[in-house]
Amino acid sequence: MSRLSQIGALTAALGFGATLAIWAAGGGGIDLPWAPALGLRLHFELDGLGVLYSLLATGIGFAVFVYSGGYLPRHLAHQGRPRRDESSFYWFLLLFMVSMVGLVTAQDLILLFVFWDLTAIASYFLIGYDRQDVEARIAALMALVVTGVSAVLLLIGSLMLYVEYGTFSIPEVVERAEPSKLVTVAAGLMALAGLAKSAQVPFQFWLPRAMAAPTPVSAYLHAAAMVAAGVFLLGRIYPLLVTSEALLDGLVVVGFGSMLVGGILALTRDRLKQLLAYSTISQYGYVVVMYGLGGAAGVVGASFYVVAHALAKSALFLTAGAVTEATGEERLSRLGGLARPLRALAVGSGLAAAGLAALPLTIGFFKDELFFDSAEERSGLVAGLAVLGAALTFAYIGRFWIGVFLGPLRSPTHGAPLLLVGPVVGLGGVVLVGGLYPEPFVRLANAAAEASLGFATSVEASYHLDARVENLMAVFVYALGAAALATERAWRAAALGASSLGERLGPERLYVASIRGLNGLSDRIHGIEVRDLRTRIAAILVPGGLLVLLGLIATPHTTAYVVGGIAREDLGLVLVLLTTAVAALATTFPRQHLTLLLVAAGVGFSLAVVYAFLGGPDVALVAALVETTFTLLFIGVFALMPRASLRRLASLRTPGTRRWRDPLVGVAAALGAFLVVWGALSRPSIGDSVADEHVRLTPDAHAKDVVTAILTDFRGLDTLGEITVVAIAFFGIATLLRRGRLW
Amino acid sequence: MTQIVARLLLAPSLVIASAVLIKGYSSVGDGFSAGVIAALGVLAQYLAFGYREADRLLPVRLAPVGAVAGLLLALVVTFSSVLRGEPLLTHSPPPGSEVVHLGTLELITAVAFDVGVFLLVFGATVGILRAVAMARVEDET
Repeated sequence: MSRLSQIGALTAALGFGATLAIWAAGGGGIDLPWAPALGLRLHFELDGLGVLYSLLATGIGFAVFVYSGGYLPRHLAHQGRPRRDESSFYWFLLLFMVSMVGLVTAQDLILLFVFWDLTAIASYFLIGYDRQDVEARIAALMALVVTGVSAVLLLIGSLMLYVEYGTFSIPEVVERAEPSKLVTVAAGLMALAGLAKSAQVPFQFWLPRAMAAPTPVSAYLHAAAMVAAGVFLLGRIYPLLVTSEALLDGLVVVGFGSMLVGGILALTRDRLKQLLAYSTISQYGYVVVMYGLGGAAGVVGASFYVVAHALAKSALFLTAGAVTEATGEERLSRLGGLARPLRALAVGSGLAAAGLAALPLTIGFFKDELFFDSAEERSGLVAGLAVLGAALTFAYIGRFWIGVFLGPLRSPTHGAPLLLVGPVVGLGGVVLVGGLYPEPFVRLANAAAEASLGFATSVEASYHLDARVENLMAVFVYALGAAALATERAWRAAALGASSLGERLGPERLYVASIRGLNGLSDRIHGIEVRDLRTRIAAILVPGGLLVLLGLIATPHTTAYVVGGIAREDLGLVLVLLTTAVAALATTFPRQHLTLLLVAAGVGFSLAVVYAFLGGPDVALVAALVETTFTLLFIGVFALMPRASLRRLASLRTPGTRRWRDPLVGVAAALGAFLVVWGALSRPSIGDSVADEHVRLTPDAHAKDVVTAILTDFRGLDTLGEITVVAIAFFGIATLLRRGRLW
Repeated sequence: MTQIVARLLLAPSLVIASAVLIKGYSSVGDGFSAGVIAALGVLAQYLAFGYREADRLLPVRLAPVGAVAGLLLALVVTFSSVLRGEPLLTHSPPPGSEVVHLGTLELITAVAFDVGVFLLVFGATVGILRAVAMARVEDET
């Protein structure tokens, strides 16, 4: 194990222990002001939901860090990459774990949003970890775009609630929220963000792609933790969701849709990780259905389900990684009979698979019991769909485990190392223990449900050896699932047909089309804007000029456009202004670059004199200094250019089309500017201007010079921004001219 | 002749720059102008002596250090008020209180900020000029 994977595992273990200790002590949290003016607080609270998901993030995180210690060196060796590439993997994994804990304990909507996006960023870098792989980069971007764009819905929902209730604090919003259209829309937008993060229909397409990530990442982020953040959000804003029946019904529909789509597609996949990815989509479908069905059984069941699924599914992903490491194969059709050579792995993953298939004596049995319990309370149709979805789960998980471990040995294996097998066996063991002593897990789920519902629940889970409805449904599921496994040949063609239909018409097409469209639009704007300097300036000046012209037309100008007199003492000013105008006209004639530069400098210097006449010595000083520096700099830059090309440019003739157009554009622009300036200057401003305020405040800043006080005090932050730009420009120039060397 | 004039101008330009900087709060000028004036003084040396000689005569190699130090100084002044629990760039001492004077120089954080601006503008301008001058020398050799 590398040092970093040990640090990660240790951090995860400490976090797990700390969460348990705080929970045992009755919970706790911190609440600090963050940006008081905006009503933002750093408010973290370890309530039931927070405890459940923190334990999940740190517990599974521990297993994944240990596993990565064995997996990553092999993964990098396969790809011929150096060992030092390991560090970024662990840092992003660690960032993910910390932001996940932050996300589930945050009690402030903006804080929630920040951590929500942090998990997406960590996911982006981890999916794209194999950066030489184009597929991985596309998948990383797709996951980021789908979860990132939907995160904006979360932000919009939060802002709507803030506008209505004046607070970002989740407990306060929950307390004040009443059934209303606004709350429904806000909660609906936030739920959409959650559904996209949990890869529910119709956002499901990013998750199978995300399997391009290294296997530990798939096990952790894209099975157990980040995808779980979506349903966590549903649990967190549950009090808002229950204000609208329509929202809850929508959740039931989306959940069942995901269960069926995910389940059917999982039956058709050949690659291990793809199968598991579709399984994840269908499994979170269960959770969404349960939140939609609601009630104590539904909400407790949803929380319980997340735990049971995370344990089993991460173990199965780690199994897939270990199997691929041991044999070099990742397709179900090329694997088989590994139970004998990889006995410990077969037992550990067998327990996990049994858990997912909801067999008795595993924690999974209770997840389905609670699911059936809440489903059959609703209606016969819902119960039927629930049985169908569970039977699909049974079938595809059976297909996975039997296909890998039973039957004839199809590929030679060189054994799996302890670091890859250990975490699988450990997680499988927890699945078994949870089936024998479900008590602590049920208590955790009840605590989480209390945070969602606002009142304590006491849902229990135990074995009943009688013919109650849930047991009958479970038996029916086993029978149906086993039948499906036995008759794979009969339905395989139909399932494959459904899968290819989905690929042809599915929502991924919409995503690809919109990305293409946006790229095209961006290219076209880029083409217009940066083709040459003239179009770029025109793209800015023409719209700007038109806007100013509109403003000019819209403002009443009865008192403007007064022609004033010229006093005797202004004679000097008028002369300098005339000089400036002549100099400006003169800039249109020279063809030599140096002459042009000197004439342009003449305009600048005349303007400096104008400022001096108008009583702005600070401005005049700066104008003269800047003009001098820039003229000299220009001369220096001209000296860098090849003489011959400068001479060639100077001798070029103006093309015929521009001989009339350019002066026309210039005259029109000058006339427009003239009208605006005349209109503004001939109407004295009414009331206090900002300038008066600055003059009044200058003594308070211990200054006698207003301009300096503005630069360093009143508008100091602007100055800070500007000098930062100067520094960046300096580094840029040095990079260009001296190939990055500053000295 | 050029060289003599350039040499003669160096000291006065630096003196004027420091005067403009120190008197910034009570008279015309500020850190920006002071930085440009000083940089122009150095630029005259480049014009008269060429880049190698100027490098030998003056510690211009330190220009990037000055620029970075100036930016850091301005940032420190900006964020120090946050540590005191006040909004960004709140200068001290506050309005109405007594200020220690050293001649025209007032000991207030706004002046420190201005010195940061001066260092940055001075360092960056000299650095850019030197980069341009050296690029030309490298091209010729």
